[in-house]
Amino acid sequence: MGYDIRSFERRLDRTEPDRRCGKCGQAIPWGEPECPLCSERPGYFWLQRRNTFLILVFVFIVLQFVITGYAVRRYHGVERGLAQGWYSRGEQALKSDHPGAALADFRNALAYSRDNPLYQLRLAQALAATGRVQEGRTYLLSLRDRQLGNGPVNLELARLPVREHDSPEAVQYFHDAVYSDWDGNPAVQRRAVRLELVDFLLHSDREAAARAELIAVANNLPPDAKLQTQVGELLMKAGGYDDALRLFRQALAVEPRSASALAGAGECYFQAGQYGQAKRYLDRALQLDPNLTPAAAIRDTARAVLDLDPFIPRLGEQERAQRAREAFDQAMTRLEACAAQRGIDFQAERGDRLQTLYAQATTFQPSVRQRSLGRDSELLTNTMDLVFEIEKAATQTCGEAKGLDLALVLIARQQEGARP
Amino acid sequence: MRAAWDKLRKRIGWEPESVMLDEPQLFLLLAVIIGLISGLAVVLFRIAIDWTRLSVFGSDLTPPPTRILLVPTVGGLIVAFLVINFFPRARGSGVNQTKAAVYIYDGFIPFNTVIGKFVCCALAIATGQSLGPEDPSLQMGAGIASALGRRLRLSREKVRLIAPVGAAAGLAAAFNAPISAVLFVIEEVIGKWTAGVLGAIVLAAVSSVVTVRWFLGEQPLFRIPEYHLVHPAELFAYGALGVIGGVSSLVLVKLIGYARPRLKALPRRSQYFQPAVAGLLIGVIGLGLPQVMGAGYEFIDQAMRDEFTWRMLALLAAFKILSTGISFVSGTPGGMFAPALFIGAMIGGAVGSIEHHFFPWLTGPIGTYALVGMGTLFAAFLRVPMTSVFMGLEVSGNYSIILPVIISNTIAYLISRHYQPTALFDLLSRQDGTDLPSMEERREEISVHVENAMRAYQGTVLNIEDPLSTALARADASAEDFVFVEDGTGQWRGIMKGELRRRATQSQEGATLRSLLSEEALPHLHPDHVLEEALMRLGDLPLLPVVNRADFRKLEGVATLAGILETYREVGPRRFKGKRHRHA
Repeated sequence: MGYDIRSFERRLDRTEPDRRCGKCGQAIPWGEPECPLCSERPGYFWLQRRNTFLILVFVFIVLQFVITGYAVRRYHGVERGLAQGWYSRGEQALKSDHPGAALADFRNALAYSRDNPLYQLRLAQALAATGRVQEGRTYLLSLRDRQLGNGPVNLELARLPVREHDSPEAVQYFHDAVYSDWDGNPAVQRRAVRLELVDFLLHSDREAAARAELIAVANNLPPDAKLQTQVGELLMKAGGYDDALRLFRQALAVEPRSASALAGAGECYFQAGQYGQAKRYLDRALQLDPNLTPAAAIRDTARAVLDLDPFIPRLGEQERAQRAREAFDQAMTRLEACAAQRGIDFQAERGDRLQTLYAQATTFQPSVRQRSLGRDSELLTNTMDLVFEIEKAATQTCGEAKGLDLALVLIARQQEGARP
Repeated sequence: MRAAWDKLRKRIGWEPESVMLDEPQLFLLLAVIIGLISGLAVVLFRIAIDWTRLSVFGSDLTPPPTRILLVPTVGGLIVAFLVINFFPRARGSGVNQTKAAVYIYDGFIPFNTVIGKFVCCALAIATGQSLGPEDPSLQMGAGIASALGRRLRLSREKVRLIAPVGAAAGLAAAFNAPISAVLFVIEEVIGKWTAGVLGAIVLAAVSSVVTVRWFLGEQPLFRIPEYHLVHPAELFAYGALGVIGGVSSLVLVKLIGYARPRLKALPRRSQYFQPAVAGLLIGVIGLGLPQVMGAGYEFIDQAMRDEFTWRMLALLAAFKILSTGISFVSGTPGGMFAPALFIGAMIGGAVGSIEHHFFPWLTGPIGTYALVGMGTLFAAFLRVPMTSVFMGLEVSGNYSIILPVIISNTIAYLISRHYQPTALFDLLSRQDGTDLPSMEERREEISVHVENAMRAYQGTVLNIEDPLSTALARADASAEDFVFVEDGTGQWRGIMKGELRRRATQSQEGATLRSLLSEEALPHLHPDHVLEEALMRLGDLPLLPVVNRADFRKLEGVATLAGILETYREVGPRRFKGKRHRHA
C-alpha cells in the first residue's frame, strides 16, 4: 500500500512511460506491480468463485446497512441534542432580552434541525426583535409559502406590521392566523389571536372593527366567568355596552360572586343611564372587592346622580325642590370656579358665554327658593335647564366635570334623551 | 478450509455454478449492487464529514477565531501527509482520475484510492477546505465498481464500462439527483450515449439515490422556492446573471490554470505544506466570512431563502472563488461541484436582490435566481451544459424554470468557451501530462460526409434489361471504366468494362445484361452518410453509387477510395491543428 516519495514524484512529473502488460499489451496502472486484469492474484478460495463472491457481497451489503443505520441514528441523535441545546439557549437569550444572541443560537439550532418549524419561527422572532424586520418578514414569508395555513407563522407575520403601524396588512395576517391551523387547542389559540387583534384595533382607535371581532369571540366563548368578564371588559372599551352586559350576566350566572363581572355589569348599567341598577351592582362588587377603585368612582357618581336628580319619579315636591336648589347652587359654584380658572371677570363687559350664563343665573337666583320651586314645576324645569346649560358650558370651557358636577352633566344627558 | 467448505456444500446439496448468470445479466445485477454499496459509502462519507466538522470546529456555526485559523492549517498538514505517503491517487477532484481509469487503465481503480478518497476528502472538507464531496463520491463509486468488476472477473470490456456505472452511482448519491448524475457521467466521462451501458448507469444511480434517501430522508439538499415568471422583462435579469456567471467562472478557471502548475513546480517538500498554507489562508478569510469554509450547503440553502443582503452575497461569491482556487491548487483532495454551486447561488442571489431592489414589480423569488445561478456556474465552470439545465429542473422539480435556466446557462457557457477554449477538466488533465479525451471537443467534432468526397459520375448508366450488344456499345462509349447498371427499382449493380466484354463473349446471342450480372445489388450511399460508413461499405469495390434518399434511381454521384482519402487529407490538418499545437 505504501508508496515511496520518489515514485510519487515520478508519477507527478509523468517522466516514466507507462509499462505494458506482456499478456494483453495494455498499460499497467501507476504503482501496480503487474497487470491487475491478467494476473492471478493470491486470495481466499471463496473469492475465486463468482456466485460465492456475489453471496458474500450481499452479506456485506446487509452488514453495511446495519452499520450505516447505526451510524446515521447515532449522528441524528447528536444533531437532535445539539439542536435542542441551541434552541434552549436561544429561548433563554430571548427571554432575557438579548435578541442578538438568540438569533445566533436559533441559527445554530436550525443548522442541526433545518426544517423544525418552531426553531424557524423563533429565528424570525429574533430577527424582528433585533430590528431586522425586513429579514424577519422574508423569512416568515418563505415559511408561509411552504405552510400556507400555519397559524403561528401568520401570527408572527401580523405582529411585524403592528410594529410599523401598518393596519391593513396586520389585520389581513391576523385574520389569516385566525383561520389557520393550530396545534394543541385551536379554539383557544384562535381566540388569543382575535384578542391580540382587538388590542391592536383598540390602540388604532378602530372601535367598530374591534367590536365586530369581540362579538365573534363572544359567540364562541365557553361558560367561563373569567373569560366572559375579560371579553366583556374589552367590549366596554370598544363601546359595546349592550353586548358586554350580556356577557357579564352570563359570567354572573356561572359565578355570581365575581366582583369583576359585577363591576362590569354595574358600569354597563351606568353607561345605559340605569343608575339605580348600576349602584346596586357596584355596591355588591365593592363589598366583594373593595380594591376596585374605578368601580368605586363610578358607584359614587351613580349615587350622586340618584341623590341630585329632581326628575326621579315618586319624589315628593319638597324633595324635588330641594334637589333643584342644591343643583342650582352646585352649578353656580362650578361657574364661578371655571371663570376663576379661565380668568373671566363677570363684572366686565358681557360677550362670553359664561358671562351671559352668569348674568342669567344672577337674575334668576332670587326666584330659586325651595318654596317657589316646590310650588311651580315650570320654575323647577327652567332652573334645571339653566343648571344643565351652565354645566355644559363649564365642561366645554374648563374640561370634564367631576363629582357632583359630573352627576349633573349625566342628568342633563338623560333629560335630553327623555325629551321629545 | 476449502475442503471443509466443499464438504459443507455437498452436504447441503448446493451447487453455486448451477445458477450461473451470463455476463450481461451479471452486469445489470452488478449495477444495482454498485448503486447500493456506493449509496452506503456516500452516506457514511457525509456523516464522516459532518461528524469530523463537529469534532474539530464545535457545534457553533461561528467557531472561535483560534479554531478557524488552526483547524484548516493542521487539517491541511495531516491531509498532505496522508496523500503523499499513503494515498497518492486521492489527489484532485476525482473526475479526471475516473476518466483516466476508463481511457487509460481499462477501468482499473485500486480500492486503496477509495479508502484514500474517503479519509482525505472527509478530513479536508470537514476542516474547512473550500471543496465539496460530490466529485470524490464519483471517484469512490467508480473505485467500488472497478473493485467488484475485477473480483467478479468480468471481461476487460465490461471492467472498462463498469467504472462510469460506479461514477454515476457515487455522484447521484452525493447529489441526491439521479438524472443529473447520469447526464454528467455521459456528458463528461463517457462522452456518448452507449446503449450497452446506459441501462446499468441508470440502475446504479437510482439504487444509490434510494439508499441515500433511505438513511438521510427525502428532503432535498436545498429548499427551492416556487418559481413563476413575474414579467417577461425578468428574463433580461437572467441574461445578466449569465454574463456575471460566465465571467466569474472564467476568473476561477484562470486562477486554477495559472497557479496549479506553478505550485506543482515548487520543490517536492513544499507539497507537504501547500494544503496547510491554503488552510491558513482560508482560515483568515473565514475569520470574516466563515461561510466560505467547507462545502457550504447550509449557506446555499440560506441564500435560496433570501437570508443575505446582496452585498453579503457578492462578498461570499468573490471570496468563495478565491478560497476554492487556493484549496484546489494546493493539491488538497476534494471536489469542485459544491464550490461551483455555492458561487453560483451567491451570484444568483445577489443579482436577484439587486433587481428586486430596483424593479420590485418585475422580480420573482430571489431563491429562483440562486437556483439558476447554480446551474449557470455549473454550465460555465464545469462545461456541462446539458447536465446544468437538467440539474435546474431536477433540483427545483419545476419545469417552468427551463426558460431562465437555458438563457442564463447558454450565455455563461458561451462566454466561458470564448475566453477559455480549454475546459477545466481538459486543462487539468493536460497539466498532469495526460491526454484524456476532451468530451467538449468530442461533442463538437464535425463529421465529414459523403457529399464532401463524392464526385459526379462521368460514365453511362445501363439498364439491366438492355440487350448485350447495346450495353456493350454504350459501355464502350462511357468515360468511366466502371459502369453502373440500374434495374428500374432503385437497385444498383456495377461491372468493369473489360469484365463486361469478357462475359459478353461467353454469353448466348440475344441475352440481356441481367444474365451477366450477379443477383446481389451493390451497396449504395447517400450524400449525408459519414465517410467512415462509406469506407466500410466500399470494401474492394472501386466506387459506390451515391443515390438520392427520396429517389433511389437518381444517381447523385460516386464515392471512390481515392476521393475519400483526398477529403481526409484536406480536412484532417484543419481539424487537428489545435490538438497538435496542444501536444507541442
